[in-house]
Amino acid sequence: MARTGKTFSESWHRVAQLRVGLRPNVRVRKQFFRGRQWYVLHDPFNNEFFRLRPEAYFFISRLRPDRTVEQVWHECMEKAPDDVPGQEDVIGLLAQLHFANLLYSRAATDSDKLFERYKKRKQRELQSKLMSIMFIRIPLFDPDRFLKKIMPLAEMLVGPVGAVLWLMVVLTAAKLVFDRFDEAVNQAQGVLAPGNLFWLYAALVFVKTLHEFGHAVVCRRYGGEVHTMGVMFLIFTPLPFVDATSSWAFRSHWHRTLVGAAGMLVEIFVASLAVFVWAKSGQGTVHSLAYNVMFIASVSTVLFNANPLLRFDGYYILSDLLDIPNLSSRSMNHLRHLAETRLFGCKDSTSPAETRREAVWFTVFGILSGIYRVVVFSGILLFVADKFLLAGLVMVVVCLISWVIVPLGRFLDYLGTSPKLARTRARAVAVSAGLALGTVLLLAVIPFPNRFRAPGIMEAENYLVVVNDGPGYVREVLVPSNTWVAAGTPLARMTNHELDLEIEAARAQLDEVTAMETKARSRAIADLEPIFKRRETIVQTLDELRAEKQALVVRAKKSGVWVCPRGGELPGAWLPRGTEIGEIVGDGDFRFSAVVAQDEAADLFVDTIRKAEVRIFGQGGDDIAVDALEIIPYQQERLPSAALGWFAGGEVAVSTSDGSGLKAAEPFFLIHGKLTPADGVLFVHGRSGKMRLTLPPKPLLFQLWHAFRQLLQRRYRI
Amino acid sequence: MDLPAVDYRKSRIEEPEELFKGLDSVTNSLIGRWRRRPSVLAELTAKAALVKEEAASLRLASARRLKEAREACRPWFRKSLDVPDDVLVRALAVAEEYSYRNLAIRPHLVQTVGALALFGGYLAEMATGEGKSLTAALAAVLFGWSGRPCHIVTVNDYLANRDAVEMRDFFHDCAVSAGCVTAAMDPAARRENYAYDVVYTTSKELLADFLRDRILMGRFSHPARRALLGLAGRPPGGFGRLVMRGIHTAVVDEADSVLIDEAVTPLIISRPGENRPLVDACRAACRIAGHLAAGSDYRIDLKYREIELTEAGRRRLRRLADDLPDFWRAYARRSELVEQALTAREFYHRGKQYVVRDGKVVIVDEFTGRLMENRTWSQGLHQAVEAKEGVDLTAPSETLARLSFQRFFRFFTRLCGMTGTAHEARGEFWDIYGLPVLRIPTNRPCVRQVEEDRVFATAEEKFAAIAADVKEISAAGRPVLVGTRSVAASERLSALLREQGIEHELLNAVNHAEEARIVAEAGGRGRVTIATNMAGRGTDIKLALGVPDLGGLHVIASERHESGRIDRQLFGRCARQGDPGSARAYISVEDELIRRFVPGIVREKLAAALAGEKKSAASLVRHAMSFSQGAAQRLAFRQRRSVLKMDTWLDDALSFAGRSEV
Repeated sequence: MARTGKTFSESWHRVAQLRVGLRPNVRVRKQFFRGRQWYVLHDPFNNEFFRLRPEAYFFISRLRPDRTVEQVWHECMEKAPDDVPGQEDVIGLLAQLHFANLLYSRAATDSDKLFERYKKRKQRELQSKLMSIMFIRIPLFDPDRFLKKIMPLAEMLVGPVGAVLWLMVVLTAAKLVFDRFDEAVNQAQGVLAPGNLFWLYAALVFVKTLHEFGHAVVCRRYGGEVHTMGVMFLIFTPLPFVDATSSWAFRSHWHRTLVGAAGMLVEIFVASLAVFVWAKSGQGTVHSLAYNVMFIASVSTVLFNANPLLRFDGYYILSDLLDIPNLSSRSMNHLRHLAETRLFGCKDSTSPAETRREAVWFTVFGILSGIYRVVVFSGILLFVADKFLLAGLVMVVVCLISWVIVPLGRFLDYLGTSPKLARTRARAVAVSAGLALGTVLLLAVIPFPNRFRAPGIMEAENYLVVVNDGPGYVREVLVPSNTWVAAGTPLARMTNHELDLEIEAARAQLDEVTAMETKARSRAIADLEPIFKRRETIVQTLDELRAEKQALVVRAKKSGVWVCPRGGELPGAWLPRGTEIGEIVGDGDFRFSAVVAQDEAADLFVDTIRKAEVRIFGQGGDDIAVDALEIIPYQQERLPSAALGWFAGGEVAVSTSDGSGLKAAEPFFLIHGKLTPADGVLFVHGRSGKMRLTLPPKPLLFQLWHAFRQLLQRRYRI
Repeated sequence: MDLPAVDYRKSRIEEPEELFKGLDSVTNSLIGRWRRRPSVLAELTAKAALVKEEAASLRLASARRLKEAREACRPWFRKSLDVPDDVLVRALAVAEEYSYRNLAIRPHLVQTVGALALFGGYLAEMATGEGKSLTAALAAVLFGWSGRPCHIVTVNDYLANRDAVEMRDFFHDCAVSAGCVTAAMDPAARRENYAYDVVYTTSKELLADFLRDRILMGRFSHPARRALLGLAGRPPGGFGRLVMRGIHTAVVDEADSVLIDEAVTPLIISRPGENRPLVDACRAACRIAGHLAAGSDYRIDLKYREIELTEAGRRRLRRLADDLPDFWRAYARRSELVEQALTAREFYHRGKQYVVRDGKVVIVDEFTGRLMENRTWSQGLHQAVEAKEGVDLTAPSETLARLSFQRFFRFFTRLCGMTGTAHEARGEFWDIYGLPVLRIPTNRPCVRQVEEDRVFATAEEKFAAIAADVKEISAAGRPVLVGTRSVAASERLSALLREQGIEHELLNAVNHAEEARIVAEAGGRGRVTIATNMAGRGTDIKLALGVPDLGGLHVIASERHESGRIDRQLFGRCARQGDPGSARAYISVEDELIRRFVPGIVREKLAAALAGEKKSAASLVRHAMSFSQGAAQRLAFRQRRSVLKMDTWLDDALSFAGRSEV
């Protein structure tokens, strides 16, 4: 421990005459951390740990119930004048050891205080349990006896034999997966399907139980005792856990690392076994179960357990490999120290970092894990809120309290009353207030560019949709797409046998009527009148049919560029009457029609649009300026092009009941903008793209709030 | 062995609540505000009026009837201190009637209100001269009837003795026994006096006896533990030598000085000890300190009274360290030691913080100017000062028990008090002691005129102006009292007045034997008295004949204090009990308080502005002063609070050692 206390203490008399010593059951081990020697005191009864610097241990080790603290102190002073802790430090040391229940005292202790402390500790435990409601642990049983029984097996497995076995199995499995990679990937899409969730969870519990046993066995193998196993509610999901903290006392950090890694090693092993089952079984429960196990044991391990930024195995492994215990909390302390010295100008703030390298690690880890935690937790929150609105709200409130309000309160308390800041409180308050004000200014006052994007398509200002006037099979497309055609040019020819037959039938009828007319003239002149009527009808029908026949040759109704994107697939196809075959795009300007969702459209009517640009897909970085913007002030339901809808890969939700893919699921507004010609951009009717609308700048907070409300609106219709 | 209940009370103390944190502390301060809401005074005044009515009905009562009335009330108090209102009213009326029959004084309404406030556990803010002694005695009668130990804590032995003697008959008629404990008493006399229902004593004696009793009790201070031992047939020894009956109720006079100003100074029971390594080291450190120069080797932090070695200083120290004994050579040790020697050199000045008398360093109380014999600074510092002065180094004594007044007064079940100035510290009184402050109006309206502070750029100008004003006012026949913050300042001013031929009396450490006489004469026509602020506190300055017509006493504060409370105490010396009087403070930019809390650049600007006779400059300086005062008060409060926290923590941390002090 750093020697900062005074040599003489006013309270020395409180301890001078005490006769104390370490409890007889306390075990002491020497450890090296970052090349520095430490003594670790460990009480196996209550699993308390305490780390001492050699100077402090030099003193503590001499404490015996037959000598007073003062005698020991004087003895140390003679033996090692340089290293004796001062009286204040001795008092602090004894107090800490006492708090850790490592001290034995002959004097009758103050039992009131002990009870009070016990009560407080229970209270604190309960509090921290409530605060970390998303990680509650409930201990269930003591696996130590079981572990002892399987020790012979464990001793064999944790070693070279186990390593070779592990490698063989894992490598073989890796090859199997590699061979059937596509299949494995395809099946992954069904993993989160509702029907599979139960099996997934079953696999999770199975795998994680083995995982925890992995920790326990390796820990026991190197002499650490494991007494607690139970259930942890990770975000309300019951999962097994084991308490392998006794490994912290291991002298070798490789052993500690191995304990940390054991869970993952077991999981990967299990995943490999599951691969064999999966590969050998046909479709069925066993197959999908094996796949689930495989998935959980590999993906979750890599994503969560191995990730050092979350406080799972990866973190402890990293901490052991770096030889920096308590990496996370010390990182936080280090960041605080940085803030205190750099921002608040506090002089007596000490960093938990003992070397420069540690300081760097702390800084990097602290910042990364901070950001990562925020991201992961907001992800979890959104996920839960998405699935269960009420639970989500409750969680948001709980999280708001425990991660925003409580820390904020603590920070304010710290600012106002921390003795550390006594000298620089004015500066600390000023800096904090400044930062807070800066943040508020940045978010709520300073306007930021406010833009949004709307999908749309390019349209020629005068264009004509070419449709067939009569149904028929397409025989051939006469003019290739993208050719200039004059008005009246035949574009496609269609045939319709039925039509031909109908014409034939009509002709035959005409012949019949002609024959009947001749007959009537000779026999019954009175019948002529109806026969004329009939003939008239038949001639009319025939004319119509002939016109229809004529229409089977589709012609350009005006001159322009003939665009027929489906030209290749048309011949042979049956087109009902009025099917869109292609378009004739006349000369002239192009416009862009953008589709704006209802909730975003509000802005369009309130604010003036500062600027609009269009970016065409596939056109890279060239933005096309748009002018003469026009908002069509009524809601539309039919998209200007199917390309914008979901069916054609666009982003506007379309109604599934409508086959055309043109009917939007929700009404929208259209914006038309005239495209100004730009170099290197080919204006083609029907190209899709996005219009970027720049609204008057608004502070970020309002923009975020707007986006948040839109999100709520879209997801929950609130 | 005593009755179990009596024995139980001997060592029972109220476990004080831990200081509140966070939201709890906000809630607690709200409760405090509620407890001292203005309507409390109205309620108590109404009750006091009832007392007056009741007392009037007893005026003609025979001695026997009065006694009967007394006896009717007494058992109620014995049972519990929560007595019904009508009983309380009758009891107080009886006590007031006895006061008239014995002391020939009928308490004023405000005194009755004060007594009620005390009984209700308030801190009554009553101006000096409003008859606080009688107020305390009235409440003490009620407390005395309860049979639980009641201590009236006075400022000094003289007052304790005086009040006990003056009130003895009154108490006797009220069926309450009273005694006093003073420094000169031996244990037997103390035991006898502590056995009385009501005991007048000083805070120092009370705490010292409490601690000595605790040492005697040793590990058996807990009543239950002692009872168990008794049952086991092994009653612990040492109990026959206890002097106190235990603690329960305390009425603290001048509560602000006891509970705040001197609260963190611990009282230490010690025996002579030996600490050779320290003594040797201090001499060596003093030599080394001689080689270090301010500025280049170390920096002086005025605000926090600290020394910080510079890089150059540290290097120099490393070379010089060979001079030190082995034990002190390590880096942290030698820095500590030398910093202490430098502290002794830079912040402790002969004549200001201490004087050397008969080859011994005697601490001077900076505020009163009193010599504090037998008081020492913390281990090491005292020796460092001695080494600096070249006198024999005293071995630090070995501490047996140590307790601050702050913690001690939290052990009382029923704490109440009186003082002239409490309002400024009402938050602290509530926070630390759970004492709500109640302002009790004066009997006659106060006509004191407090004039606006006069502002100067330099201390020199200020003192010159004070001298000129003193001359002018005293020439007109009015008596003038000049309060100074330190002994040094009082001497400086005295020299100045002597130069100008102004006759005056100087009241400070050196001649505090004559204190009472000087204070008594301070109200004479045209009289000039210079006194350190706290000197003669508790004694009235009586105005001579004709002086009130001239305008009464004029008080000059030559400097403002860390606490506005102390300024107000000084101003309270004039215009007492309806007399006329005026007061004014003189401040300069060079005052220590401003130097400590206002940055140098701002000070220079202020001084320049004053020199340029800008109109707003003076009010700026006044603002700077009130800012500094506020900052100093907050700092002091935080320090006191952290001392308490630290003490509590230590108690908690060392619980394995058993209860040591309490």
